[in-house]
Amino acid sequence: MANPDIIVIGAGHNGLVAATYLARAGRKVLVLERREVPGGQLAGDARIGAFATRPIHAGGQLRADIVRDLGLANHGLASEASADAGAYLAPLPDGRMLRLAASTDAATLDSIRALSPRDAERWPEFVRFMNSAAAYLEAGQATPMPRLANADLLEQGRPLAALAWKLRRLGRTDMFRFMRVLTMSAVEFAEEWFESEPLRAAIGAVAIHGVSIGSMSAGGGYVLIHNWLNRGGLAHRGTRGGAQDMVNALVAALRARGGELRTSAPVAQVLVERQVVRGVRLESGEEILAGTVLSDADPRRTLLGLVGAPELPPEFVWQAQSIKMRGSVAKVHVLTDGQHGIPGGTVVIAPTTKYLERAYDAAKYGQVSEHPYLELTHSGDVVSIHYQFAPYSLRGGDWQAMRATLERRAIATVSERFAGFRDSIREVRSITPFDLEQTWALTEGDLNHGQLILDQLLFMRPIPGWSDHRTPVDGLYLCGSGVHGGGGVSGVSGRNAARRVLRVSARG
Amino acid sequence: MNDAPYSLYRLKRTPFHERVAPLCLPQNWRRWAGCITVGSYDLGIDREYWAIRDAAALIDVSPLMKYLVEGPDAARLLDRITPRNIHKMAIGQVFYTGWCDDDGKLLDDGTVTRLGERSFRLTSAEPSLRWLAMNAVGMDVTITEATDRMAALSLQGPKSRAVLNRCCEDGLDTLRFFRMAPNRLGGRSVTISRTGYTGDLGYEIWMDAADALPVWDAIMAAGADHGIVPCGILAMDMARVEAGLFMIDVDYTAANHAWIAGQKSSPYEMGLGWTVNLDKPGYFVGRRALEREHREGSAWRLVGLEVDWEGLERVYAEVGLPPQIPGTAVRGSLPVMRDRQQVGYASTSTWSPILKKYIALVHLERPHFEPGTRVEIEITVEHHRRYAPGTVVALPFYEPEWKKK
Repeated sequence: MANPDIIVIGAGHNGLVAATYLARAGRKVLVLERREVPGGQLAGDARIGAFATRPIHAGGQLRADIVRDLGLANHGLASEASADAGAYLAPLPDGRMLRLAASTDAATLDSIRALSPRDAERWPEFVRFMNSAAAYLEAGQATPMPRLANADLLEQGRPLAALAWKLRRLGRTDMFRFMRVLTMSAVEFAEEWFESEPLRAAIGAVAIHGVSIGSMSAGGGYVLIHNWLNRGGLAHRGTRGGAQDMVNALVAALRARGGELRTSAPVAQVLVERQVVRGVRLESGEEILAGTVLSDADPRRTLLGLVGAPELPPEFVWQAQSIKMRGSVAKVHVLTDGQHGIPGGTVVIAPTTKYLERAYDAAKYGQVSEHPYLELTHSGDVVSIHYQFAPYSLRGGDWQAMRATLERRAIATVSERFAGFRDSIREVRSITPFDLEQTWALTEGDLNHGQLILDQLLFMRPIPGWSDHRTPVDGLYLCGSGVHGGGGVSGVSGRNAARRVLRVSARG
Repeated sequence: MNDAPYSLYRLKRTPFHERVAPLCLPQNWRRWAGCITVGSYDLGIDREYWAIRDAAALIDVSPLMKYLVEGPDAARLLDRITPRNIHKMAIGQVFYTGWCDDDGKLLDDGTVTRLGERSFRLTSAEPSLRWLAMNAVGMDVTITEATDRMAALSLQGPKSRAVLNRCCEDGLDTLRFFRMAPNRLGGRSVTISRTGYTGDLGYEIWMDAADALPVWDAIMAAGADHGIVPCGILAMDMARVEAGLFMIDVDYTAANHAWIAGQKSSPYEMGLGWTVNLDKPGYFVGRRALEREHREGSAWRLVGLEVDWEGLERVYAEVGLPPQIPGTAVRGSLPVMRDRQQVGYASTSTWSPILKKYIALVHLERPHFEPGTRVEIEITVEHHRRYAPGTVVALPFYEPEWKKK
């Protein structure tokens, strides 16, 4: 494409969502992807292993309004979550299984009642509150956050007031519950609701999933609501057809609106002249000029890597350096003969809340958890293991040396619960935080482009005062997970960024 | 020699302490950047002041903060921090400059000396290591603090060149204003820059701290029959006001020291518009804000004020006194009025012995800063507020023809 209006760096799902929104508004959009394939974390990598070309995320769905706005159903994306989502399953010490659905079906209530009749009574109210909290968070993610010191109340006051009114309308009880839960730890929150330890731990696991915090760390409550919103409950729920369908539909929708996607086109430099963006230079040396550039890369990589600290104000550089990335998730993909014995759905290995905290303790000291918190999903013969904690920064060692240990501990932990697993294994391929950085360009292997912790959320994401997708470089916007609304698979930050760009250009 | 507990409470001493301490007869010490330095060597400062203007005054300026900036990106770092175009500097050239935060407000001011293609020395009034490091992210550059390991002397006055020509290996006749050259003095390696803080002919001599005493001795010996006088910072303070040179946290508040936005000053407001190079390529700290101020004009300007002697006499005559003028520069804010409305303030005022005038560095609001504007400055006469008339003038007040020759 010659002379695009807008360049989007990165064809992750947020980059594609932003690009398609912009193309829909009539802009000439060029998406540049460094890898051979689009999709970001939704696309695996063939070099990791022939069978292990699986996405990093076990599930994920775009928000319904995005699917609708971009007409993704016309491009092969099922408009609803897959029906066979399966339940959220936690193996119990006695060999039974705690089975939780995000609804109040009889099987779920029976399963909880076997542990605690009182907890079974409370479950429907818990699900109702979580759904209500998640819906409120969704509204919050759709609301532009104020720029702290530079807040423009004329522009931002009304949506913020609307958000505050929505909070009030949750009702007195839920409003206070919601405000309290944000800062609570997973343990505190789960203990307040339930008395059964396996149930508390199963919920607590979702409250630390993907984030470098323990079950006793503040802020687990927020993560629980965030993950509940993205998953639609406790269990992963993919779109029918899976992640690849989502990527294909986004690419098709982009192209249908005249947008262009170039893969194997890594950007080396965002071109900036006097704090105004001019375009990009590819690693090949080719320069493509555009007055607007959106980056789906994480904020640290975008600002300090692609733009470069010398083009940015010193205090801003300091803050960009201070964004906490700290990835501590690894993936282990296992090809089996099919006799692994793991049930469908999302299986969590987190027997107690203390087990979760101890798994996290290791990460604090730069070690791989000996007894990790795992989440298992499988499709046919391939079992995918989400391993937490596997910190990016290892004390006294590197990830090439630790890979074998990681795989051994994953297999041992699964085998303890599923006896047939070990013998069913044919091949093992793992993705360490180092791989996430090298192959997926995720700084410090952070899946969320910045930790989902309280001081990096809402108007403080990615940097206090810069939550509205803008940067100190005019015309350069952030559209990835690292900005407000991001974290996990939802497309929210891509959608919000595109709206921001269109609002700015509407003003002239 | 010193008990450990005592030394904890002791101010830092400069490398020249051993020489200056016995000469400091009135024990008039001042504190400068954590160091104990001589305020004056005598009860009055006339002799030291007149050495600056008529002979040669030797001033210990070692407390200045000094940094070495070296590496492939050394010029790039200083070009980013300061508003001047560092890439255009010749080796051996010295730039005076202020530098700003990203809101275009002054953080500090000092000199940049290009020692080599990839090597610079920066002087500042305040510790600047963190600011330098924060701005060096992503650059190939090393920053070394040299404040304590380097000593510095300022030799100021019309005879300073003759004194140095007598004790330096290489003559100083070809060293131009704001240029620097390596030299040998008293058998020691030094660099000499034709710079200073007095507005007179003058040089600054930079050396290893270990060489401080022999260099001091050599200069004093060479200057004996040129009337050289060791000079404290009080006399220098008078001279710098005459030269229209301002001082951090006296005449402007460093942006990172200010409690409120109104205390901050921009380079344009301080008369340093000539150092702001908006045409240079790339980002530099404060560019956006300085571009805006350049476009819209500054609200304030630092200018000079010459007080009418007759007006002073009149105000004092009302109570039966001749004008009472302090013998040193006064660092106190004095309101400046026009038509009974306050239009600004003086930050430093002094009697100028060479001009025979009472002068002040004043900050005036637009449009009152135009030269020739008649204003009044507040003075306290026998405990009562009075206003003495004066005229706004361009800076400097005093610039001898030999300063740049």
